Amino acid sequence: MLESSSNAAAGTLLGTSRRRRLWGRTARGAVPFALILPVIAVIAVILGYPLYWLVKLSTERYGLFELIRHQGTSVGLDNYRSVLHDPVFWRTLLRTIVFTAANVCMTMVLGMLIALLLVRVSAVVRILLSSGLVLVWAMPVVVAVQVWYWMTNFENGVVNYVLTELHLGDFFQHDWYVTTFSQLSLVTLLIVWGALPFVVITLYAGLAQVPRDLVEAAEVDGARPWMVFRDITLPILRPILLILTSLSIIWDFGVFTQPYLLIGQSKITTGNYLMSIYLFEEGYFKSDFGRGAAISILMLLMVAVLSIFYVRKMVRMGEATA
Amino acid sequence: MKRRSIVALSLVVVLAAALTAATSGATKKASANNITVWLQVDAQSGWPDVVAAANKQFQADHPGASVNVQYQNWGDHLQKFDATLAGGGGADVIEMGNTEMTKYMAAGAFAALDKSAFDNSANWLKGLAASGKFGGKTYGVPYYAGSRVVTYRSDLFKKAGIKKLPATTAEYAADAKRLAAANSKKGFSPVYIAGTDWYVGMSFVFDYGGGIATQVSGKWKGLLNTPQSIAGLTAYKNFFNATSHASKTTDETHPNPYDVYAQGGAASMVGPSWFTCCVGAKFKGTTAQFVMPGHVKGQSIPGFLGGSDLAVPANSPNKALATEWIKDFTSTASEKALQAKGNIPNATNLLGTSVNERAAARSWFVPTAKHWVDVENGNILRNMLAQILSGKLSIKQAAASASDNIASVLNQS
Repeated sequence: MLESSSNAAAGTLLGTSRRRRLWGRTARGAVPFALILPVIAVIAVILGYPLYWLVKLSTERYGLFELIRHQGTSVGLDNYRSVLHDPVFWRTLLRTIVFTAANVCMTMVLGMLIALLLVRVSAVVRILLSSGLVLVWAMPVVVAVQVWYWMTNFENGVVNYVLTELHLGDFFQHDWYVTTFSQLSLVTLLIVWGALPFVVITLYAGLAQVPRDLVEAAEVDGARPWMVFRDITLPILRPILLILTSLSIIWDFGVFTQPYLLIGQSKITTGNYLMSIYLFEEGYFKSDFGRGAAISILMLLMVAVLSIFYVRKMVRMGEATA
Repeated sequence: MKRRSIVALSLVVVLAAALTAATSGATKKASANNITVWLQVDAQSGWPDVVAAANKQFQADHPGASVNVQYQNWGDHLQKFDATLAGGGGADVIEMGNTEMTKYMAAGAFAALDKSAFDNSANWLKGLAASGKFGGKTYGVPYYAGSRVVTYRSDLFKKAGIKKLPATTAEYAADAKRLAAANSKKGFSPVYIAGTDWYVGMSFVFDYGGGIATQVSGKWKGLLNTPQSIAGLTAYKNFFNATSHASKTTDETHPNPYDVYAQGGAASMVGPSWFTCCVGAKFKGTTAQFVMPGHVKGQSIPGFLGGSDLAVPANSPNKALATEWIKDFTSTASEKALQAKGNIPNATNLLGTSVNERAAARSWFVPTAKHWVDVENGNILRNMLAQILSGKLSIKQAAASASDNIASVLNQS
C-alpha cells in the first residue's frame, strides 16, 4: 500500500527535467529513512537518553551524598567488578533462572491445554471461560496481589479455611510464607494465573488457523488425537509458541511487583532475592545508585540476549509475509 | 515524498515540544505559601487531632498559608525521600525515625535549624536530641519518643484468676497458660507477639546482657553470637512458643497486633503504648497497660526506645515556613496532647509517670552506625528470628550468621 503510493508520488516528479530526475532518485532512496525517522527520534528521546545516563551512572560512585549534589565521581568499572564478585548476585541469578523456567513452562503448558479446551467446549462455556480470562487480564497487578495475600492470609485466609473444610488436613493458621520455596511457589502461581489469559487467547486464535480438513484427513488415516496434535497442530502453532515463550521469558525474568508485594518487604532477604529485587535492594534501599545502575545494565544485557531470538523470529516472519 | 519528509519532520518537532512541555510542567514548584509535610501513619491512626490542631495554629499564625499532610509508611518512605532528593517536589517537613537520621545528616540531606527557636529545646530528651545532631549542628527536632509496654484485657486476666500482674517473664508465661486454658477460641494468643517483631526479640537479648553490635577500636563487631545473646534468643523462642499464636514469619504490621486484639484474638500484646488507640470500642473499657517484666524479679525488660525527629529537607523551597510548622507541632501544648495519647513527650520538663514513661527507664537502642539503617532494611534481624522460631536453623547457627552479616554491613565504607 505504502509502496505503491510512494511510487506514484515518485512518478509525478520524474520525467520533467534531468536535474529533477536525479533529485527524485536520491529522494526515493531517502524515503525509507525519512519514514523511520520519527520512530528513531522517539526511541532516541525516550530510550537512548535514559540509557546513556544509566551507563554513565553505572561507572560512577553515586550514593546519597552524590545524589544531593547531583554530581557523581567516576570509578570506571568498579561497580561491575563489585557486582560480579558478589556471591549474592550469582545465587540470585541462578534462582531467577530456575524461577523463570518454572513460570514459563507452567504458563505455556497450561495455556496450551486451556486453549485446546476452548476449541472443544460449547459456545456458552467458551464465552464464560474467555470472559473469565479477560477479567483476569484486566485486573491490575497490585489488586491481584492483595487478593492473593488475603486468600493465603495466616490469621483467617480463605485458602486455609477451604482446605480444612475439605478435610485435607488441619490448615488452621497454616503459614504459607515459611520457606523460600513456598514463598516463590505462591508468586509463581500468581504470575502464571495472571499470564494465562494472554497466552490462551493468542493460542486459541492460532488454533483457528489449523485447517480442519487436514485434521480430518489424519483422523481418517487412523491418527490418534495425540498424533494429530504432535504432527499437525504443533507445527502450525510453532511460530506463535516460540514468540509467546520468548516473551514470557523476558517478562518473568524481570518480574518485580508480584514477588515484592506478595512476599512483603519485611520478609525479603538475600535468601529469596530475584534479580529485580536484588537490583531494587542494592540500588535503592542502600542508596547505592551507581551499583544499582550496573546491575540493571547487566540485567539489560541478559534480556537483550534473550530477545535476539524473539527479534530474529519476528524479522523472519515479516520476510515470509512480505 | 517531499511532503512526507515535512510531515515526518513536523511530527518530530511536535513530539519534542510535547516532551519538553511535559517535563517543564512536572518540575514546576508548588505555590510559595503551601508546605508539604510527611508524617508516618502512626499519627494518622493515633493522633490525627494533634496534627489538625497544629495545622490550625499554623494557619492562624500565617494567614494564607496551607499545609498538606501526607502520611507515609516506615517501610518505603526513605526510597520516596531519595527520589525527591534527586528530582525535587518532595516534602518541606519530614518525619524520620531516630535510627534513620545519621545516614541522611552525613550526606547533607537536611537544612540546619536554630535549636533555640523551639519550645523546651534546652530540655530535649538526650537520646532523641543526639539523633538529630551532626557535626555540632541541629538537623532534627525531637517529635516524640515511645517505649514498648504490655497492653492487656483486665477482664480476661480476671476471668483466668490472675490476681497480681506478673513480676517476671516466667510468671507472665505461667499466666499465659491460665489465659489459654480460660479461652478455648482457636488461635487465641495469651500474648500476641508477631514472630519477627525484632523490637521484642532484642528486648530479651538485652535482658540477658546480650547486644546487637559494638565498636571495637573503630570496627563493628557482631554480638548476637555471644552466650548472653544466645540465652536471650532462647528465652524469646520459649516465651513466644508458650504465649503467642501469631505467624512465626510475619512482622508487627501484618496484621497490626491491635487488630488481632480488637477482634478478641489476644489477651495482651507487646508494643508501643499508643496501641490503646485501636483496641476497639468493645474492649476500650477493660484495656489497661503494664510494664513488661524481665527475667529478674523487680526489673522490667529493656524496651526499645524508639522516637521520631522532624527535619527540613535541604531542597525545600519553603524552609522558613516549614520550620514554623515544626514549631507549632512540637509546642508545649502539642507535646502535652501527644503525651495524653500515650507517647513520651520530647522534653524532660514535660515527663510524667505514665506506664510508657516508667518503661523507658530501662531501655535499649540500636548501634549508632551510619549503615545501621541498611541492617534494618535488609531484614537481617527479622530473618534470624523467623529462622529460629520456625526451626529452620538452630539458635546458634541463625545468631552466628546474623552476627557476621550485621558486622559486614556496618563496616562498609
